[in-house]
Amino acid sequence: MTSIEVPAAGTTRLPAIEVRGLGVRYSLRLTRKNTLRSSLAQFVRRDRGGHFWALREVSFSVVHGESLAVIGPNGAGKSTLLQSLAGIIQPTEGEIGIRGRLSSLLTLGAGFDQELSGRENILLAGAFLGIDDGEIQRRMEDIIAFADIGQFIDAAIKTYSSGMRARLGFAIATSVDPDILLLDEVLATGDQVFRAKSKERVLELAKGAKAIVLVTHDMHWVTEFCNRAILIEQGHVIAEGQPEEIVRLHEARSEEARRGATAPGTAAPGT
Amino acid sequence: MGLVLEAWADVWSRRRLIRYLVAADLKKKGRDTLFGNVWWILDPLLQMVVYVVLVSIIFRRSEEDYALFIFAAILPWKWFSSAIGDAITSVSGQDRLIKQVQFPKIVLPVAAILAGVGQFAFGMIPLAALLVLLYADRISPMLVLIPLVAMVQLVFTLALGVLAAALNVFFRDIGNLSRHALRLWFYLSPALYGAAVIDTIAGSHRFVAGLIRLNPFYAILNAYRSVIYEGVAPDWIALWGVLAISIVFLLAAIWFFKRVEPMFAKVL
Repeated sequence: MTSIEVPAAGTTRLPAIEVRGLGVRYSLRLTRKNTLRSSLAQFVRRDRGGHFWALREVSFSVVHGESLAVIGPNGAGKSTLLQSLAGIIQPTEGEIGIRGRLSSLLTLGAGFDQELSGRENILLAGAFLGIDDGEIQRRMEDIIAFADIGQFIDAAIKTYSSGMRARLGFAIATSVDPDILLLDEVLATGDQVFRAKSKERVLELAKGAKAIVLVTHDMHWVTEFCNRAILIEQGHVIAEGQPEEIVRLHEARSEEARRGATAPGTAAPGT
Repeated sequence: MGLVLEAWADVWSRRRLIRYLVAADLKKKGRDTLFGNVWWILDPLLQMVVYVVLVSIIFRRSEEDYALFIFAAILPWKWFSSAIGDAITSVSGQDRLIKQVQFPKIVLPVAAILAGVGQFAFGMIPLAALLVLLYADRISPMLVLIPLVAMVQLVFTLALGVLAAALNVFFRDIGNLSRHALRLWFYLSPALYGAAVIDTIAGSHRFVAGLIRLNPFYAILNAYRSVIYEGVAPDWIALWGVLAISIVFLLAAIWFFKRVEPMFAKVL
């Protein structure tokens, strides 16, 4: 890739993430909400349902110390890209190479059990993420302090506000010292104070020679804090480069799309 | 076979996750209601009362010591039907998590089914009470074989639960269908009636009688009844037969689960 400013000097230049020719195909037949009746009907009609490529021919790499922003309109394939990097979705074609420990922080608090307390949920989330038991126990107090849940930590999660839930999710996911951190639209959660705190935490992680991939619609984050960006539209990488450049390009293109929105077949404008 | 070994590694490496899930499940089930876990004791007893009223008073068809006769079958059947019900939704109910975190999904049905073992163990309390208070003459050393019969049942339940959990991701009808299928299955198993009734059925409905005898719960419930109610050794050949079939079924179910697992995140 072209030369990029890397904040942490002297770290390894072997890419932390290497994606080559990635393609993810969805079978429309399977993603429809199936009932036996519709499946039988499809079988009888020999309807294979067709396919849809959420991502195609996507290649890029991220070195340690870099934070890459992935931007693009809704439905461009950004979340699919993060899911593929996290190993949640298997690529249909192409390769993904990951070097280092990866933590994904997609939508926060997805795995929380409403009936359990905050403390129990920390243990459960740690077990889902595959974090060592001793490690999660050691970090317990840090997580609680960072999330700023106070005495509610022993109350059931269902009594928490959405902000508290998001804070707890963020605190768990960033507590593990990942080499690679995947973030999906999480930075806009919480109040001003927590936003500042989480920003600080993410910057700290980035400084510690960690690679970050961030999906966001908040362009301030992209320019302020990522040192490279890629623009994805309809599953293809349209452009790659300096964040300012890519944000400008994205804004110009979505403005164009908005104007042409009345014409059929245009992509939905990003919000 | 590689997939089956992989599944074993998944379960073993995430045994702590399974333990947490089981503990969370038991805790939740106890927390919902006023009586909490006391319901695990009351539930089978009340169900027993319903069937005693229905069968021995209304239909006048009861066996000797009918309360114990059916309690020996209600207890394991409740375990089976609720474990299968929980297993079916164990994967599809965690759709948000599955799309966000990479973890071996097989832990979900396994944890759902193992949580049922706790409930079954609680059921030993009313069983012991029933035996001591009302049927002390039926207490026999054969009672120690209950865990062995339960093991056979557990293997069969795991097999069916893992399979149903995977299928329900693709066909949500499995949930609706299962309620009725389980109810029919209960009536086609020797729970409310004994082997003698099946012989009578065989006279007029050969097919139904055959179905009852082929059903793994024919051997399983008979075995429970032998050790709890009759105080004799179970029909070992039938029991080992069910175990052997269940093991093969379990391996096949795990293989199928692992095979379709990569599709879960896309389909859910």
